[in-house]
Amino acid sequence: MSTEEKKNFEPTQGDQQEPVISRRYFLAGTACLSVATAVSLSPLLNAEEVPSGDEFIQKHYKELTVEDKKEIFARLEAQVKEKYGVAAKISDPQPIDDVEFAYVLNLGRCIGCRKCVYACMDENNQSRSPQKQYIRVLKMKQGTINLETSSHDYPEKEASSEDFFYMPVACQQCREPKCIEVCPVKATWKEKDGIVVVDYNWCIGCRYCEAACPYHARRFNFAKPQISAQELNPDMGYLSNRPRYMGVMEKCTFCLHKTRRGEYPACMEVCPTGSRQFGNLRDPESTVRKIIEQERVFVLKQEAGTLPKFYYTFAK
Amino acid sequence: MEDNKKKVHFDKGEFWKKFLLPGAVILVLIFLFWGDNKPDISDPVPLKAEWYEPETARGEILVNTVMPGNCFICHSVQVPDPNVIQPQFAHATVKLEHGANNRCYNCHHIYDRDSLAGDGESRIPFATSIKLCARCHGLIVKDWQEGTHGLRQGGWLVKDGATPVNFTCTECHDPHSPKFKYEIAAPAPTWPDKTLRKTRHSDDDPKSAYLTESIQERF
Repeated sequence: MSTEEKKNFEPTQGDQQEPVISRRYFLAGTACLSVATAVSLSPLLNAEEVPSGDEFIQKHYKELTVEDKKEIFARLEAQVKEKYGVAAKISDPQPIDDVEFAYVLNLGRCIGCRKCVYACMDENNQSRSPQKQYIRVLKMKQGTINLETSSHDYPEKEASSEDFFYMPVACQQCREPKCIEVCPVKATWKEKDGIVVVDYNWCIGCRYCEAACPYHARRFNFAKPQISAQELNPDMGYLSNRPRYMGVMEKCTFCLHKTRRGEYPACMEVCPTGSRQFGNLRDPESTVRKIIEQERVFVLKQEAGTLPKFYYTFAK
Repeated sequence: MEDNKKKVHFDKGEFWKKFLLPGAVILVLIFLFWGDNKPDISDPVPLKAEWYEPETARGEILVNTVMPGNCFICHSVQVPDPNVIQPQFAHATVKLEHGANNRCYNCHHIYDRDSLAGDGESRIPFATSIKLCARCHGLIVKDWQEGTHGLRQGGWLVKDGATPVNFTCTECHDPHSPKFKYEIAAPAPTWPDKTLRKTRHSDDDPKSAYLTESIQERF
């Protein structure tokens, strides 16, 4: 080994020195760091919704047994009772065999009065503050379907104008839903009757599904959902309109707690123009089936490849 | 050697004091106070029944769809005038706004007040008034039969409890003024700004006008 190499190999004088941060600076730095950590974590102290132990270990909806569900529903009902003073009934109707739901909306009739929006809010216990609505009514000039230049916050006096048409857009209940593909925890999935649902207790709030949806059909609860006890709908479905938590995703479920019992969704029953039609796609005698067979129907953003079960038509 | 050691120690201490500590403090402050800390909470708008109740949402007033009483008390003495447009006396409130169809006896049977006018001299009872409508509005009636037109309630599945209700013509339309008035509409969403883009900032905003009014000119 030459002298030159030896020199490089041997540790230099500087490296052999003792640690250069003195006791005083070490203590000051530690104190600063702990204060910063405490300050940045302090919002957790007034976190409003801390899950209980049972909630924390609750399994995914698909893994729940009948007994588990009974227990969970009783717990949720007790929570609703405690919070709102309302005796709610949480049900979990299962998909009916040989039923696939579809929706047809007649744009030639829709006047953009937004009654469906508020009927949906009334039925599905959406947060009133901050406001959550599943349906957006897009106002567009006659002669073009241009979503970019549509307006969804037109004032109510601009409804039922002859120069425009109005396109209510909610969850399209796709056959190839992009939202469920991106969910990292499988908290959202497609049921047997074609309804895409969310397990609000399993959702981690990453909002991937909101970004993946080409229709902006999903809503995220940034803040704690607030609804008054008078406006709370006590007829609740576990996968649909039970009260949601802060930090979870929610979406239109075709009012599955109603439709799986054979009723119509709230938006359809309220429509003053009869633009909306709902039914079983697999029943050849159903209204939706007849319309799809006889009218020229189209789906929104066909190029997205989502194969929606929500059809639009320009019938008289 | 001693000098060198002292210098290094001094430099590192200075570095910590001068840059790291203030930097950390600034970072914490940025984390705490940067950005829009305004809460999302808006004043909740209480829902009005006319926005969501199926019974009230239609908001159409049906004038004189049903006249109680016996028509022949008056009409037995009155000679019918086929050209009458504005009915008198008991029917003075009826305003006929049915397009070109502006004669009473186009629809009402001229000799039988309890019936509607069918083909020729035939009569259509009020209970099946849809047959009268079909004489002119055949295509719409066909649409109604197939489901494209008209309001349905009750349920899609005939099951216990849920019976489908198919509204007939005169349950929604006032036969004397069938065009809907659409007087009640529900207000625009009040979502937080950051949740969704705003297309309309105010009525005078040129951007709103660009988005909603001038689309036709741009094509």
